[in-house]
Amino acid sequence: MLSPTSNLSRRDFLQGMSAAALTTLAAGAPRLLANDEVQHPKATADTCILLWMAGGMAAPETFDPKRYTPFEVGVPSEKILCTFPAIDTVVDNIKISAGLENVAKVMDRATLIRSHVVADLGHILHSRHQYHWHTGYVPPQTVAAPHLGSWIARVRGPNNPAIPAFINIGQRLEGVGESEELKAFTTGGFFGSEYGPFNLPFPTDAIAAVRPPKGMTAERFEARQQRLKELLKKSPVGELARDYHHESMLRAIDNAHRLLSSKERDAFDLTKEPKESLEKYTTGKESRFGHGCLLARRLTEAGARFIEVTTEYVPFLHWDTHENGHATVKRLKQEIDRPIAQLILDLEERKLLDRTLVVIASEFSRDMMVEGIPGSKAVDQSRAKTDVMKLPIHYGLHRHFTGSGSVVMFGGGMKKGYLHGETAQERPLVTIKDPVRIPDLHATILTAMGISPKTAFDVEKRPFYATEDGKGEAVRALFAK
Amino acid sequence: MSLAKVADARQTARRVSAWPDWYVPLCSIHSLRYCEAASGAAANRKRRRLFPEKRMSFTVRLLGAAFGVLALAASGRAQAPKKVDFAHDILPLLKARCAECHANGKYKGSFSVDTREDMLRTKGVVSGKSAASEVIKRIVSNDPKVRMPPKGEALTAKDVELLKAWIDQELPWEPGFSFKAGTYVAPLKPRRPVLPAVQNGHEHPIDRIVAAYFGKHQVGTPAALDDESFLRRVHLDLIGLLPTPAEVNAFVQDTATDKRGQLVRRLLNDNRAYTEHWLTFWNDLLRNDYAGTGFIDGGRKQISGWLYGSLLDNKPYDQFVRELISPTADAEGFIRGIQWRGNVNASQVRELQFSQNISQVFFGINMKCASCHDSFIDRWKLDDAYSLAAIIAEKPLEIHQCDKPTGKHAAPRFVFPELGGIDAKLPKAKRLEELSRLVTHPDNGRFSRTIVNRIWQRLLGRGIVHPVDVMANRPWSEDLLDYLAVYLVDRKYDLKQLIEHIVTSRAYQSRPVAIAQEPTGEDYVFRGPEVKRLTAEQFVDAVWTLTGTAPAKAAAPVKLPDFGESVPAQRRFVRASLVNADALMRSLGRPNREQVVTTRPDLLTTLQALDLSNGQLLSETLTRGANRMLKADPKAPNAQRIEELYLTALGRRPTVSEAATANAILGDKATADSLADLLWIVLMLPEFQLVR
Repeated sequence: MLSPTSNLSRRDFLQGMSAAALTTLAAGAPRLLANDEVQHPKATADTCILLWMAGGMAAPETFDPKRYTPFEVGVPSEKILCTFPAIDTVVDNIKISAGLENVAKVMDRATLIRSHVVADLGHILHSRHQYHWHTGYVPPQTVAAPHLGSWIARVRGPNNPAIPAFINIGQRLEGVGESEELKAFTTGGFFGSEYGPFNLPFPTDAIAAVRPPKGMTAERFEARQQRLKELLKKSPVGELARDYHHESMLRAIDNAHRLLSSKERDAFDLTKEPKESLEKYTTGKESRFGHGCLLARRLTEAGARFIEVTTEYVPFLHWDTHENGHATVKRLKQEIDRPIAQLILDLEERKLLDRTLVVIASEFSRDMMVEGIPGSKAVDQSRAKTDVMKLPIHYGLHRHFTGSGSVVMFGGGMKKGYLHGETAQERPLVTIKDPVRIPDLHATILTAMGISPKTAFDVEKRPFYATEDGKGEAVRALFAK
Repeated sequence: MSLAKVADARQTARRVSAWPDWYVPLCSIHSLRYCEAASGAAANRKRRRLFPEKRMSFTVRLLGAAFGVLALAASGRAQAPKKVDFAHDILPLLKARCAECHANGKYKGSFSVDTREDMLRTKGVVSGKSAASEVIKRIVSNDPKVRMPPKGEALTAKDVELLKAWIDQELPWEPGFSFKAGTYVAPLKPRRPVLPAVQNGHEHPIDRIVAAYFGKHQVGTPAALDDESFLRRVHLDLIGLLPTPAEVNAFVQDTATDKRGQLVRRLLNDNRAYTEHWLTFWNDLLRNDYAGTGFIDGGRKQISGWLYGSLLDNKPYDQFVRELISPTADAEGFIRGIQWRGNVNASQVRELQFSQNISQVFFGINMKCASCHDSFIDRWKLDDAYSLAAIIAEKPLEIHQCDKPTGKHAAPRFVFPELGGIDAKLPKAKRLEELSRLVTHPDNGRFSRTIVNRIWQRLLGRGIVHPVDVMANRPWSEDLLDYLAVYLVDRKYDLKQLIEHIVTSRAYQSRPVAIAQEPTGEDYVFRGPEVKRLTAEQFVDAVWTLTGTAPAKAAAPVKLPDFGESVPAQRRFVRASLVNADALMRSLGRPNREQVVTTRPDLLTTLQALDLSNGQLLSETLTRGANRMLKADPKAPNAQRIEELYLTALGRRPTVSEAATANAILGDKATADSLADLLWIVLMLPEFQLVR
């Protein structure tokens, strides 16, 4: 059962994985519904990297700048649409917000959607909107809905079997607010943990996740595995050796060990990156997001399938600007600007960008005045309420806005230097052209990844679709071809 | 336009037309296709009227310029689909205009629309050729004797075109959908089966039924389970903990003929250990936890204190359920459900959660589909879900179909009205009291069957009805299910007596059957118990038993009684079921208790194996444990350590050959590292991780 050496070819590993996957299938995991309607499209991307701006990235402060009003004591809040001036990009008809100068230089590789419209769920709770964005379904659900990455992992499988198919970088799931809510969607859901996220909250510690436990040498780790094999052989299990519970258990242990001893392991190790390259992704003391982007690049090179890199959701921190928004967003831009641009350039240089879909997205946008959408009953959650500007802390977009939002896509078969959708020039800054809802955005991502948005699995005798109700339709206008 | 005006316009919009659909989530349960299909043709037409291509002018007229732009945007999406959509376009038509005479047992003119295959087989349609299809000829006929459907108006030109297009597109069908209802009807009343004659000296009633079953299905009696395996299995099944080496030795040497029965009673009498094991099962089932989703803003209430006390007292199951449904403050968390923050789909308001959970937990009925529309997979209807929900509603509960108000209000009614009604005029507390009486009514065989099936599944690995949440499925033995249900009622709903009865049977005390692949469905034949995987809590408890590394404090807000005098030192610790889930338990399958969970995944996955192989938590625990063990007994010879480890973890002594390898692992003198390695290796053995 267990292989005699750990130095296995990828082919062997692949066989091991698919056998495990088959066993999982046989064991009451949801079955793929055979559906005549479902024809998987031809993939335009092999890897998807989701750059998640957790907490609500204000579109007017980033990719959809509006009339700029500088801070001045006494300016009525109502007058302020955004707090940064617009800058030119390398694309004539696209301007973005100051502070994103590096991204501006690569916008000719981008498709920019300004008309992303998310659902308004009433009382804002970030994790609920994040759940909706990541699973495509509004919580609560009566079954555990899988993360988008799990759908891709389940349907397309690993790109390189030695790299987990779904890798989640930058989000702590313990010790942060709303952590239970975060776990509710950071999951393989009804697909089971075989398709769940491989969580790497700290990019510089990522290697720890694929090497022997702390304090254990590689030699001891390897010896321990060999001894396990010995005792397994001697274990008097009798006829139960052919039981599927028993067999799958051995396969899982074997797979884990192969992952821990494969050469691809190096991809997780940021110390293997040349210093000057590491520098390019370093934006400050911590640089977790920047290093996350670098890790994503290394893992893409090694053959990852789906990677999420988040700025991390922590209530009231980072993009979750309930007060002092301008200053916070200024810092955030500094954290994301260079790494994102560098990631795109690096992927391009390595000839990976054409087959890698990079998506920048967030659960909703922000506004100075409107909570939710106009007329929403959502409770105003700004912590810096004021009619006129008095202190710098008042200056920024402190309310959650669901009427429009920006999504940026690079590579993976999308158009280059393309602008999609439009928002109003005056408040309310709602989408006025070509709205793209979550199901359609997901359908676009899935289609690029070669997965039909109508893909369905049988869960408790009901079909459960990859996009809500099987209705997501790829936005064809975004594709290069 | 000022904000206030915008808001006003929005309110108007909500009243008149609803939001543009790209703001509003659709059916939250799963699939609008089903919603629309279920709502029937009339509702379908109504929906088309509300969300038509014409939305633009409609909305513009109402909202004026500011929102005209929104409407314009929305209209961009409203394109007619090129392909005919079975669930939206065809199914409602078939259901409304054909099914009454041509489906589910009634096949006038020998024509059936049950399934696509049936339609083709009974020659109503020719795939790809609408012009040659009898159905089309009939529906367009002007001759009243020929025209279909014979009653009501003729199909509209649009519907005819749809049907033609559908046939021309080779009749795409919703996979698995059939108009034909299942043939098995689960009975409601309890039934006392006549016990078959005793065979092979097995007098236990369960074995008399099983022997007759084996005979009928030509299955040989599985081999008997040896003492050591029985001891380990029954310990894990009844109290969730491993036996100690002393207990293994004593039990093997015991010559009393009824030593197994005595052991079972001893374990069941260890009230604290029993409670803390079964707490996991009940927490999953009643979605109770000590932290988690919903607790963040008081939207949820624990029942931990009540639950723990009820298990400790072995509260009769009927009383247990009555107290859950008609609760005092400390038990009300279950029926209160989870109050989610923000807008929630109509099918997930607390009243509907109540309806779904009562149905699933106590009757194995899936009311999730019917919370949104008439179910397609069984007989439950929207009205059933809402009638049950209305029992707990504070004010009249408006029925929503697929999240849209219908204008109708639900009247309180139990799912099995033949057992009695509930007076709508009673106040809520009284209605709940009435409900608790109906749920536990002596004539409600579904109530007792559901729980005995769940217990059987926990003990033997697979339910008599499978899966345990679909009690409408045919049991592999109706006699056995009915017998056990009646047994439980006869014993005044004493769950411990039920468990004792099952585990003292030869059926339970058989060697597990090796199954190469999980059996998928109806052709299942019972051949003996299946191996089960340790739950996350059992795994962690076992690690703590072996290494003495259990935490000092429980997270569950419960009053812990003293350990019984006879409880060995190794078992006196704070159990995994009493603490919050950590990364290891979560990885090993302890669920986020946001939904009712009745069974957990029974296979180890690669990511789980990875956590076991290099996860910091397990690794640190084993190192800490190894240090502790060395300190506690620095001079113990390797042979003793190995024997104790094997006896505890696997319930048996190591073979000579195993002992030799284990000795080599420990080295001349055991160190913290070498002992931690040996512990890890034993924990990785399937023999350890499975209950056999």
